Amino acid sequence: MTSDAGSTGTQAAVDPVADPGGGREVQRTLRERLRGPWRVTVAEGSMLPDIAPGDWLLIDPTTRRWPRPGSVVVFREPVTDDLAIKRVRARGGERVPFNGGYIALGEGEAWLEADATPAIAAAAGYGPPIDSDRFGPVPVDLLVGRVWFRYGPWKRIGRIGRIGPPTTP
Amino acid sequence: MFRSVIATIAPKTVVRAHCDLPCGVYDPEQARIEAESCYRIVEKYAANEDTAYRTRAIAIKEERADLVKHHLDVLWHDYFKPEHLEAVPNLHDLFWQATKQVSKVKASTDLADAKRLLDLVDEVDAAWKATGGPSKTRVAGRPG
Repeated sequence: MTSDAGSTGTQAAVDPVADPGGGREVQRTLRERLRGPWRVTVAEGSMLPDIAPGDWLLIDPTTRRWPRPGSVVVFREPVTDDLAIKRVRARGGERVPFNGGYIALGEGEAWLEADATPAIAAAAGYGPPIDSDRFGPVPVDLLVGRVWFRYGPWKRIGRIGRIGPPTTP
Repeated sequence: MFRSVIATIAPKTVVRAHCDLPCGVYDPEQARIEAESCYRIVEKYAANEDTAYRTRAIAIKEERADLVKHHLDVLWHDYFKPEHLEAVPNLHDLFWQATKQVSKVKASTDLADAKRLLDLVDEVDAAWKATGGPSKTRVAGRPG
């Protein structure tokens, strides 16, 4: 696979049955993606109660496509370009309820949501969470990695699993 | 030894679980200044018979009164906390009266209504001071 490093990564086999969503891939080269980050710590409370400020997380930065809905991802936030963390709610080809109607996601886009409700965030001393409701669909070029494990604090070590998207009325 | 292990495995990268940030700066003076605008507008309204002038005065009073209500609302749900009810037991009733008085000022050209609003904003100011507002919410000792 060393010959693949430095390419645009398009040679990687993608099984459309195992991973139907997404579409476009991260354009960064494998070498760029291998630089990480592999470990991150969380600031602010929009992912409470599952992921708290100060948590130490392991991420897989080699991910090229949005993981399945319910997965937690690190990405570059549109507008601010900050490294941010949110949960994938829907991917390209799907549609999400928005403002009384629907938004149809384009190829390679994902709709990312905070876990915390405004009430949960407020109880922890934060303002309302900022997610795709504010910054819209996120293109896959801004994907940095998939969060898969929490290695700190000691008492909450464990896998970061998928949580199914909430059922909408 | 233990510390250096922790330092080695600790993540160097911060990811933000972004929230809006309440700035934590509150002062009833904001509401007071807009309420004073309402008061002055009612005075000027009474002193001028011109229809166009009066129409403008009413429109501006409406706008300023909305700002009073906004500033009061922000104080109520962002600055004041449940524990403040000990120092100011009538807090909720006070805000209810004050915001209702704003609605009254919108509909009225009676100077007494505007004055009553000023008094209620001053009561809110007293509540803010009684709960340590000036030292907790203003930067570097303002107001002097």
